[in-house]
Amino acid sequence: MPNGIWVLVEHQDGKVKKISLELLSAGIEFSKKTGQEVGAVLLGSGLEEAVNSLTPYADKIYWINDTLFIPYTSEAYLAGIVPLVKEHQPSILLGGATSTGKDLFPRLAMHLQTGYVPDCTGLSIEENGKLTALRPLFGGKVFAEVGFSEVRPQMATVRNNVFLIKEHPDRSAQIISITPSMDSSLLKKKVVGFEKAEGTKLDITEADIVVAAGRGIKAPEHFKLIEDLADVLNASVGTTRATVDEGWRDLKDQIGKSGKNISAKLYMAFGISGAIHHVLGIGTCKTVVAVDTDPNALIFNYADYGIVGDLFQIVPALTEELKKVLAADR
Amino acid sequence: MEIYVLVKQVPDPEAIVKVKSDSELEIENKYFTNFFDEIAVEAGLKLKEKFGGKVTVLTLDHRRVDALRRGISMGADEAVQITDPALEGSDPFAVARTLSAYLQNKPFDLIFTGRQAMDDDAGIVGPAVAECLGIPHIHSIIGLEVDAQKKEARVVREVENGKEVLICPLPALFTCQKGLHSPRIPLVMNVMKAMKAQIKKVDLASLGLSPTEVGAQASTIKIQKYLPPPKRPPVKIIKEDFPENVKTLIKLLREEAKVI
Repeated sequence: MPNGIWVLVEHQDGKVKKISLELLSAGIEFSKKTGQEVGAVLLGSGLEEAVNSLTPYADKIYWINDTLFIPYTSEAYLAGIVPLVKEHQPSILLGGATSTGKDLFPRLAMHLQTGYVPDCTGLSIEENGKLTALRPLFGGKVFAEVGFSEVRPQMATVRNNVFLIKEHPDRSAQIISITPSMDSSLLKKKVVGFEKAEGTKLDITEADIVVAAGRGIKAPEHFKLIEDLADVLNASVGTTRATVDEGWRDLKDQIGKSGKNISAKLYMAFGISGAIHHVLGIGTCKTVVAVDTDPNALIFNYADYGIVGDLFQIVPALTEELKKVLAADR
Repeated sequence: MEIYVLVKQVPDPEAIVKVKSDSELEIENKYFTNFFDEIAVEAGLKLKEKFGGKVTVLTLDHRRVDALRRGISMGADEAVQITDPALEGSDPFAVARTLSAYLQNKPFDLIFTGRQAMDDDAGIVGPAVAECLGIPHIHSIIGLEVDAQKKEARVVREVENGKEVLICPLPALFTCQKGLHSPRIPLVMNVMKAMKAQIKKVDLASLGLSPTEVGAQASTIKIQKYLPPPKRPPVKIIKEDFPENVKTLIKLLREEAKVI
């Protein structure tokens, strides 16, 4: 009988990523309904701190300890995870809709001959352990509830900020340390370099707050205004296809159909008209603010709060005012 | 260099897509080649131009071949359509098994496809085909250099906090992301030619697959219900003059939305 709600935990520089804590928190809520165990699976060496930080979020932590897992490759992860899944037969296996999740999960699901629903914006569970996943289709023009056949584990990747992190200090997970027998000659791909993105900001898919400007900003150097605002809010800076195609901003910051889907708690759009390509990428943001000079700009149809105004006036004032307000909080 | 490109025809991003019933969508008849698949075709053509060889575009679609004709007009040499009524309702894993059944005995150095199709936005088929064929894959690549002699590729992959560089032996499958190449615009003359180009049709029987191995009954995931996107409440336009409007916005974000 498959049993267990498992989360593949992602880590960076020895620290657990936020998305993994969100999914474990969801797993604990689900387990209250189904009575299943919550398992955290993490792969890599030197993860003592990460493993210890997970104990209030799970019943069992499976730590597959080998240097071959850092940096991530699908081959190594597959070799590490598959035997564990076959041995314990979890009912559910969740991961983040991240560069790792999107690379690994489809292949892992094919390997395990099971079902996988990608890029979910919601999950629900029945008492019998059957998972239903909610996900956007056609860039968010419609949504679908997706279920699984009798196969297990039921696999899904989930976007950032879908679930809230909730620590359970009363829990203290059992740590199961596993030394895998890895044949490194079978690992064909090798990571040979890494170019870290400039600055210290989170990726726009991971950030709680994203502020963005489009063509309305008129010139690439004016993005300084947006970056200053982002600094005050500890936000990341996004943009539209138009400015990327102009070469003003990097592709990694492009929001929308040919860029990234974001699900920030707060998204602020300045000088963005709201072309369908763009707004499809912000459909699952919680609160949207739009500022544009054109009162008929489509972006206002997708916003919670709007100001018809000039970003060159609004943004610096917003930055200064926020500095004052947030300083008063401290 | 033998190259296959997996392509799909999808509704245009501007096309209207609405929920018709729990189990049916209404999709405007406005199809084009999946944007990321065009980048994949371009990747294949660039390698062919450098090393010689052949680019074959392959689709699995019972009704349409728009993407195959697009591929031919861009410069692909051959086009193959896997078509069979039994494929109707297949999930991405069944699609991947079928594509792999076609590819498994073919000689190839590289398979390209888009990072995801702009209809189901799933991104499953590429990595799943690589698994079926037992070859390495890399998802969402933005840079590629192939060393034909050493039979390996140097690939740049987009990750959250930067760019990763990998060395991968061939044969391999790569899914392509914007930034890898700008797909070429075909000449009108080639578009005309592509309309008449011969498309090889392949059915399940010739792949050695039975109808029970594909379609809805062989699928591990199933759409239970279509839903319209969650509705946002109407926008609150802050009508005060500057700078009061800025103060009001901050107040609303703190006290009403509680996001800062």
